[in-house]
Parts: sequence; C-alpha cells; structure tokens
Amino acid sequence: MKKVPLLKLQDITKKYLVGNQEIKALNGVSLEIFEGDFVSIVGKSGSGKSTLMHIIGLLDTPTTGKVILNNKDVSKLDEESLASIRNKEIGFVFQAFNLLSRATVLENVILPLQYSTIPKNLWEKKALEMISLVDLTERVSNKSNELSGGQKQRVAIARALVNSPSIILADEPTGNLDSKTGAEIIKKFIELNRLGKTIILVTHDMELAKITEKRFVLKDGEVVS
Amino acid sequence: MIKELFKSAIISLGANKTRTFLTMLGIIIGVFAVVTLISIGQGIQNFVTDRFSNLGSNLIFVAPGKLDLRGDPGANYLTNKLDEKHFKLVETYSSDYIQYLTPMMEIGKSLTYKNKTYYSVVQATNEEGNLAYNVELVSGKFFEKSDVSARNKVVVLGSEVAREFFPNQEALGNNIKIEDKVFTVIGVVREKGGQLDSRVYIPYTTAKRLFNIDKFSALVMKARSPEIVESAIKSVKNSLLRDLEETEFTVLSQKEILDSFTSILANITIGIGAIAAISLLVGGIGIMNIMLVTVTERTREIGLRKAVGATPNNIALQFMVEATSLSVIGGLIGTFLGILVAFIIKTYFNFNAEVPLWSVILAFSFSFAVGVIFGTYPAIKASKKDPIEALRYE
Repeated sequence: MKKVPLLKLQDITKKYLVGNQEIKALNGVSLEIFEGDFVSIVGKSGSGKSTLMHIIGLLDTPTTGKVILNNKDVSKLDEESLASIRNKEIGFVFQAFNLLSRATVLENVILPLQYSTIPKNLWEKKALEMISLVDLTERVSNKSNELSGGQKQRVAIARALVNSPSIILADEPTGNLDSKTGAEIIKKFIELNRLGKTIILVTHDMELAKITEKRFVLKDGEVVS
Repeated sequence: MIKELFKSAIISLGANKTRTFLTMLGIIIGVFAVVTLISIGQGIQNFVTDRFSNLGSNLIFVAPGKLDLRGDPGANYLTNKLDEKHFKLVETYSSDYIQYLTPMMEIGKSLTYKNKTYYSVVQATNEEGNLAYNVELVSGKFFEKSDVSARNKVVVLGSEVAREFFPNQEALGNNIKIEDKVFTVIGVVREKGGQLDSRVYIPYTTAKRLFNIDKFSALVMKARSPEIVESAIKSVKNSLLRDLEETEFTVLSQKEILDSFTSILANITIGIGAIAAISLLVGGIGIMNIMLVTVTERTREIGLRKAVGATPNNIALQFMVEATSLSVIGGLIGTFLGILVAFIIKTYFNFNAEVPLWSVILAFSFSFAVGVIFGTYPAIKASKKDPIEALRYE
C-alpha cells in the first residue's frame, strides 16, 4: 500500500507586489513530507525558503497550488481556521526563541494550550512533561529572561511539542546559539525524531542540513535538489 | 480563558508600573471627582432636607420680591418692602388658615461676654418663633408676647454660643452684648447639630428699635392642617395684595422650596458629574494612547501568539482585557479614594457627605465603559497584525 504523505505541496507559487513590480518568491514548488521524517529546507538568503516555511507553517497562503496537510487541502482556509490548524498541527521553533520574557518557563510552554481545546486541568501536566523532555524541570518557575540561550531554545522546543503537533517547524534554530549549544539543540531534535516526531529544519547552513535524512534545496524560488 | 487573559494583563501592566500608574491617573482622578462631588452634593441635599424637616411641617414662607430660586435672591432684598404692616395684614385677614405667624429677620452681629467675642446670626422673631424654628429649650424660656410688645432686651442662646460664653456656669440671667447693646439671657436652646446651634434669638421689635431695621427677610407661618396649605397660600397672597404688587412678594410652601432645592441640587450634581466625566474622557484617551504604544511594543508577542494558534479575536480580546483592567483598576482606586474622602469629610467636618451606591455603580460602569471604548481601536489594530511581519518586528 502506498504511504500517504503527512504534508504535500503541489505546484506552489507565491507572488508579491513590491511597488508595481511582481516578485515571484516561489515558483512551482512541490514536495512531500511523511510522518516521522526529519527533513531540511536549505537555501541561501532570497532563495524563498522563508516564504516556503511560512506556507508550510500556515502563516501564509500560496498564490496558486495546494497545501495538503493530513489529507486535507488547507491552502484556501480563512484566518480563524488556519489559526486552529496551526495550534493543533504545527509546532514552531524560531531562531530568536520568541519567548514571553516576563512569563515563567511553565507559562511559556502552556501558551499554545491556552488557544487549544485541551481541558485546562491538563495544561500544567502536559507542559511539565514537555519541560522534563527538554531537561528543564529545575527551571520551571524561572522567568524566561533568566535563562541562557540554549535553555531558551529548549523552552521553545517544549512549547512547540506541548500540543503534540504533527510537524515541528524549526527556523534556523541554532542561528542565535554558539556551536556547542547549537549541537545540543540539534541532538535534541534527533532524539525527538527518534521518538517519531516529524521535523522540518529550515536553514541556510548546508552542513547543518546534512544531519537530516532528506533535503530540499531551494534556489530562486524553486526546489533544485 | 478570561482568567488567563486577566493574569496576562496584570503581568504586562505590572511590567511597567510607573507607566501603568500614570495611565490610570486620569481615570483615578475622574472617578474620584465623580464619587466625591456626588457625595458632597448628596450631603448638601441631606443637610437641606434635615433643616426643613427640623422646621416642622405645613410651613408657608413669604419672601420679598419675585423669587423663583433660580435668579439672584440677594437682589430681592434691596427692594424689600416686607414689613410690620404686611405682618398685620396676614394676621388680620388670613388668621382662619394659620396656626401661628412669625416674622423673620436675620442679622449678622458680633456678640461679646466679658472678653469673649462670637460672631453669630441674630434671629429676630416674635414669641412664636420657637415654633417656626422648632426650637427646644434646655433651660429657661423663649421670649413671650410681653417681651415682644415691651421691646425687651432679652436673648435666647444657641447651644454653641452658650457653651462658648458659659462653659462652666449657668447662662441664664447673665448679660451679654450684641454689638454694644446689653441683653439678658433668658433661655438656652437644646443642641441639634449644624448652624442653628450658633444662632441667637431676640424679639424683632427690639431688633427694630436697637439696630434700626424695619424690613423682614421673611414671614413664616404654619397652616392649620396639610389639607389647607393651598388655600392658606391663596389667602395670604390676597391679604398681601391689599398693599403690595404681585411682583413684590412670593408665597411658597415648604414643599415647593424643598422641591426647588432638590431639583437645583440635582442639576448641580449632574453638572458636576458631567465635568468630572470629561476627565474620564481624557483618561480614556490616555489609555488608548498607551495601549497603541503597547501594541507596537509587543508586536513580536502578537506574532508569536498567532503562530501558536491565537485567532484575531483572541488577540483583540487580550488587549481589550488589558485596557479594561487598566481603567477598572483605576476606577476602583478612584472610588476607594472618593469613599475615603467622603468619610473624612463626614468624620472631621461634621458634614453628612454620603456616597450613594448608585454613584459607585455609575463610576465603576463609566470606567469599565472607558476601557472598552478606548481599548477597542488598539485591540483591533493588534488583531489585524500580520503574523509574519509581526514575528520579524525588531
């Protein structure tokens, strides 16, 4: 039996108008990602990888083409529905961590649950499980601005995992970290992938991309390999 | 959800305490002003109502000039024609309707006893003045008809005057001076609280003789029963029209005066409330301003929240809760300060300032409404932010 992809992009184009000029950021991108994959999207600045990441993360919609997630076409949904799918299916890890600096580690990890349908009495338990998975149990009550860069990124990973999403979408997750801490974070992603998590790593760093089993290299808005 | 939003609002408001306080200040001052001014207005109303109920019921007043309680009452006294003759006219032609009739003269004078001086309002009246003013004596007696006709130099002291001049001795029989005229104390009034305690009473005939006054500031009378107040007013008018023009006097029932006062006070209270509401409006603009700054400052946070699943409505609600918390907390502080000041006025200034429940509800509702109204625009602005742009915001 043929395996059904978790995420399928069909002939995606994305055009922007800059002044009067039309810019084609993506041009006929098609790709398939299966459950349990660890893939990277690699490309230099201006290659269209950020635009592709936004479309995969349902933060943006394609100009033409289809985004099929869990067998459902999500390319033309309204903002409310996209928000709900993002909440359930996508876990974001950003280069700049994007934590709420005045909130504690626990409060940061709980954040996506606030917008979910998961009952409130389970929030703390779920968040603590994820915090333990990223080895930050002892910092649970610390404010996020009291943490090191590596710890912040681990909080972001716990936050991305807390809703048990189908896909973890990591945008340059080691970009703001030193090489040693960056390596630890990558190790964490490998561990999570072994636990069955689907991970998409978006990076400009070809060396880093080599750790993933599948790579989509973008150039001028097209997948070249 | 609301609990989380409120918690998040408190965290972000607490992050910048000085700014939060300064933003709230407009609301605090506005609500404080509303609550305090209404409490003072209510206090004045209580005071006037108490004064009138102290006077007894079924009273009818004749005042000089055309008095509508809205013009300048002082102007009528310059052309005052009300005198002894009119007193006699009412006494003669309206006696069927009237239980008692008393003239009223109020003169500010200095009183002295030995080396003590006291500035008081001298109330010149006749032997029935004690009934009109509801005067109860703690010792001695009120002056009698004979004192009035003989123009005797006798005086009845208000309790405060008696306490001032004769703290440790019997006041009766002593002589005090009103200006340079010597009067004998024949009675002391029971304490009632308020201004009446600082007055003294003398026969009006004596006042006319010694202080060279012959116009009355009013005639006060009591109708024989509540049912005939209207007919009594008519009869008094007719009696006075024998000598005066219609524009030269006004006859008012106690109820009319009280109603007019209440209505004027209500209008003043509303006016003051409206002025205070302007400061709430200014406070609201301050809130909107700061919320707009907050939305810009927290653009990345908005982007993050959207990325993890917040809908535009979730974001709008979050900022609405924040703006409303800001104004409601300000409103609660303002209400508390207003109640505190009313309490201080009541306790230390012997003035019955009262905070009615409706004013607290009004102030609270107003501050809530200010938060909702002025929080809406920033909240909508936040909810419309593009998550991609917001996440990139530096």
